[in-house]
Amino acid sequence: MSAAEIVVTGLHKRYRATRALDGMSFTVRPGLVTGFVGPNGAGKSTTMRVILGLAAADAGTALVAGKPYRSLRHPLRHVGALLDAVAPHPGRTARNHLLWLAHAQGLSARRVDRVIEQVGLTPAARRKAGGYSLGMRQRLGIAAALLGDPPILMLDEPFNGMDPGGIVWMRGFLRSLAAEGRALLVSSHLMSEVQDTADRLVVAGRGRALADAGVAELIAAASGNRVAVRTTARPDATRVLGRAGGAVSATGPDTVTVSGLPADRVAALLTHGAVPFSELTAHRATLEEVYLELTRDAAEFRAATPTEAPR
Amino acid sequence: MRTALHAEWTKLRTAAGPRWLLLGTIVATVALSTAATSMATCTAGGCGGDTTRLALTGVCLGQATIAILAAQTIGGEYGTGMIRSTLAAVPRRGTAFAAKAVALTGVVALGGTAAALGSVLAGRLVLPESGDRALSLAGGPTLRAVLGTVLYLVLIGLLSLGIATAVRDSATGVGLVLGLLYVLPILSATVGDLHWRRLLERAAPMSAGLSVQDTTDPGGPSLGPWAGLGVTAGWAAAALLAGGLLLRARDV
Repeated sequence: MSAAEIVVTGLHKRYRATRALDGMSFTVRPGLVTGFVGPNGAGKSTTMRVILGLAAADAGTALVAGKPYRSLRHPLRHVGALLDAVAPHPGRTARNHLLWLAHAQGLSARRVDRVIEQVGLTPAARRKAGGYSLGMRQRLGIAAALLGDPPILMLDEPFNGMDPGGIVWMRGFLRSLAAEGRALLVSSHLMSEVQDTADRLVVAGRGRALADAGVAELIAAASGNRVAVRTTARPDATRVLGRAGGAVSATGPDTVTVSGLPADRVAALLTHGAVPFSELTAHRATLEEVYLELTRDAAEFRAATPTEAPR
Repeated sequence: MRTALHAEWTKLRTAAGPRWLLLGTIVATVALSTAATSMATCTAGGCGGDTTRLALTGVCLGQATIAILAAQTIGGEYGTGMIRSTLAAVPRRGTAFAAKAVALTGVVALGGTAAALGSVLAGRLVLPESGDRALSLAGGPTLRAVLGTVLYLVLIGLLSLGIATAVRDSATGVGLVLGLLYVLPILSATVGDLHWRRLLERAAPMSAGLSVQDTTDPGGPSLGPWAGLGVTAGWAAAALLAGGLLLRARDV
């Protein structure tokens, strides 16, 4: 195991009647972007606050670089974090906001100017943060996370409030940070925001990780062994494939979906049975489907009882 | 601790709020002190009453802005959520809290010194020759009164910091501190029983602490200058302890 890692094991946390975390476990590896997705109230923000030592878990451990966060001497040099619902003092300039953070970590003002440049805030650095747009504030938050040049980055909803240009910039930026060998944990309640960026996904629901796997792996698992066939002779196709052991269901006026048979076997059976077909594609689930499938129960649970954890 | 202190100092230095509040403290203290001193009737024999205490009257007003400044150093962070940034940067909460307290002490001591010395200087300018002698800093009691006033302001700042930390809000914290400072004396004045009234006056942070300004009749019905300031210190210590323990125990 490399040092640049987050290891979360069996976190439990209750807020009065609400079970905010219920056995949350996952790992974040170096050089990869790990997407942390799940509906609102799934426990993403709470998990991040527990990792940072801001909230205490009732049970379980969260280690960064093999240690509890609170035992790190200059923690921002190990872990950089962008937290949701954290605003800089409105009357302080962006540069001064970063300056006190730098001083807390024994870093110099040179480092401050470097990260301001990195996130593209140089022209606005000496303006008061109170006048910043949400997108600019997110950039300032990223700058703060990068201040200590940490091998681990944890970003809670970094795409929030960003315009389309900002989202594209953020995606590229996150990829380049991972390419430098850093471990990134990026949360979002929208799968579409992370699907092009993440290498791995932790899908959260009802306070635990419903899945912790590579993106390709998750898609393969959700796609199953399914083949979509376009044919004008639907009854014939159903009969031929059914006899060979495939489960066939009609998915359109001239399409059927077969599961349980590989694509080449389906092609051979149809040709052999002289059933005409014009298209044959292996079904590939989208991440959106994977996500919906995994979080369906969690979302239903949420609709029945509000479980939004207090921030 | 050194880096945490550096960070807190940078915070105080780079926000406009503390600067204005400190300036306000100095202006308000000197202004009220001057007004009070100018009303003294002096004869050749002296000005009657406690000239030093009179010249430092403005602290009654200056302590309010100090209380606001102190409460905002942490209450403001709870308001914006920046307290999370602070505690993520300095995860040892005792250290983070101590750094805040020390930085605040430095700033209030600076402003308090300016306010107290300004008041005494203004008193010397306003009073005729005879009162002037009473306000000489070479005189032990006067020097003690000035130093005690600065310490008193520091303690009020720490009291306010502790309370604002406990309640996690500037406005609530300021309300509680001002209530403690100004409402308690009013309440004690309504108490009929002399024994209880005296007890309340000795226990209230303002009336007890400001006895450090007495130069003519130290002791008497009051606790004596340093013991009185000790009562205020007790309040500040209790508030800091409560705030510190709650900060350590609670999620942010």
